[in-house]
Amino acid sequence: MIEVENLSKRFGRIRAVDDISFRVASGEIVGFLGPNGAGKTTTLRVLSCFLPADGGTARIAGYDVFHESLEARRCIGYLPENAPLYEDMRVVEYLRYRGRLKGLGFGSLGERIDTVIESCGLKRVRRQLIARLSKGYRQRVGLADALVHEPEVLILDEPTIGLDPNQLRVIRDLIVSLGKRHTILLSSHMLSEIETVCDRVLIINDGRIVASDKPRNLLDRVKGSAYVSIEIQGPAPAVGEALSAMDGIQAVDLVAEGPWLRYRCACDFDADVRPAVFGLAAERGWTLRELHAESRRLEDAFAAMTRRASPAAAGGEG
Amino acid sequence: MRRFLIVWRRELESSFLSPAAYVIMVIFLALTGWVFLQLVEGHVGEQEPLAELLYKVLIYFWMPVLVTVVTMRLFSEEKRAGTLEPLLTAPVTDVQVVLGKYAGALTFLLAVTAPAVAYPYVLAAMSPGIAGVEDGGMLAGGLFTMLLSAFCVAIGLVMSLLARSQVVSAICCFSGVLLPLLAGYMISLLPLGAESLVAYVTVHDHLLDATRGAVDSRPLVMYATGTVLLIFVAVKMLESRRWR
Repeated sequence: MIEVENLSKRFGRIRAVDDISFRVASGEIVGFLGPNGAGKTTTLRVLSCFLPADGGTARIAGYDVFHESLEARRCIGYLPENAPLYEDMRVVEYLRYRGRLKGLGFGSLGERIDTVIESCGLKRVRRQLIARLSKGYRQRVGLADALVHEPEVLILDEPTIGLDPNQLRVIRDLIVSLGKRHTILLSSHMLSEIETVCDRVLIINDGRIVASDKPRNLLDRVKGSAYVSIEIQGPAPAVGEALSAMDGIQAVDLVAEGPWLRYRCACDFDADVRPAVFGLAAERGWTLRELHAESRRLEDAFAAMTRRASPAAAGGEG
Repeated sequence: MRRFLIVWRRELESSFLSPAAYVIMVIFLALTGWVFLQLVEGHVGEQEPLAELLYKVLIYFWMPVLVTVVTMRLFSEEKRAGTLEPLLTAPVTDVQVVLGKYAGALTFLLAVTAPAVAYPYVLAAMSPGIAGVEDGGMLAGGLFTMLLSAFCVAIGLVMSLLARSQVVSAICCFSGVLLPLLAGYMISLLPLGAESLVAYVTVHDHLLDATRGAVDSRPLVMYATGTVLLIFVAVKMLESRRWR
């Protein structure tokens, strides 16, 4: 549905996007992840036909974004960063205007507006001036605008930025429900959100794609330490020594003392030391209250990949 | 065509739905009436057509200010608020956007100024000393003023594409509109022997002809082609984001 080949874009001497290629299949939700200034917004702007690329091609639903821009734009629902809206209009007026602009006829316009107002939870504010809306509602109006003409492809630039946790959950659920009928490319630095929403993640750094995979597989690719936390009752020095001596445990850190000792152990990445720790406690007669492996998160993958790429890029520039 | 009308309508709505529009209208009509009356009183006993006095007020007193107020936000505001991005990623062409916005601004300007055309008739009806109003002069002068407005709004359109800040585009627009109005006087000051040019570009002379009922095609063609050229430039300026 979205095909990008060798896309490049530079602003003066800065290479914002450097020869990237990727594809998004129909019905997929793909997260576009990267630190600030990595080239996310630039890529999305090229895909939404706002900026032209310097090199390479991008096609949306088979239409070239530069040469068949109007056809491509009909297939795209685009939510720009910060959802810019006309503040002097009411919600329903704005959606009516955008719907007409996107070619909806009078027959289907009212029905489509009711549908998107319903699905984006805008019923309560449909007659309000956009200038008076909170950030969360504005974001939803932007999303409703992107959806109003039933596009095949949704391009969302940081749809959840600046939202409170409740609004975040609402928008996230909305995106997941939209994923059933639309192809979605969304950018974000909210990693937890991408992890739960997206089928696949593209990580971009310094204008290059450094990884493209399912969130779970990305996690597996991150090498480093895994952590296990342990809460145990026993003689402090002996427990610490015994844990340090175990296979697979690299370092032991006593986090809290008292009647219960709390340890955080850095372990080898592919080792699960928990059964051995339980065995040890049973053997020595220590009471074990907690034994817990911290789940590796996408944050770690993200940090590892963007860090790994950075020195090389910096060297190249210098 | 349909999308041009949608952009045009949105532009008109945003003008007429703001309280500022009505404040501008009231101030404009009150001040115009007062200045017009002062001018008439200053010419008591002379043979000046009322049409000439009225259109002089509209053009020299009001055109730079009104055009600036109406056009300064056209694109500057959209750039500042970031709403240009959703607008230009909708399936509309740059030509439709530029024409729609231009037509919206021009319509609003004409709607604000149109009621002032009644002044000479009201004055003639109320004061027995005035012989009457020449319809030909009013019509030709009105036509000329409309065309000049179209030209000046096109200047404002280009200026609003230049800057993100409304203040900057307002200053550019004000000077941009003042320039053609005063060009005739400036050229005659230059030591170039360019006096023959003056007759072609002086707004004042064109207006005198028109308000005496003489429709000369040369200035009409000049302002019409100037307008088209400026709109073309505006479209290219908007498109230029694709070249950079």
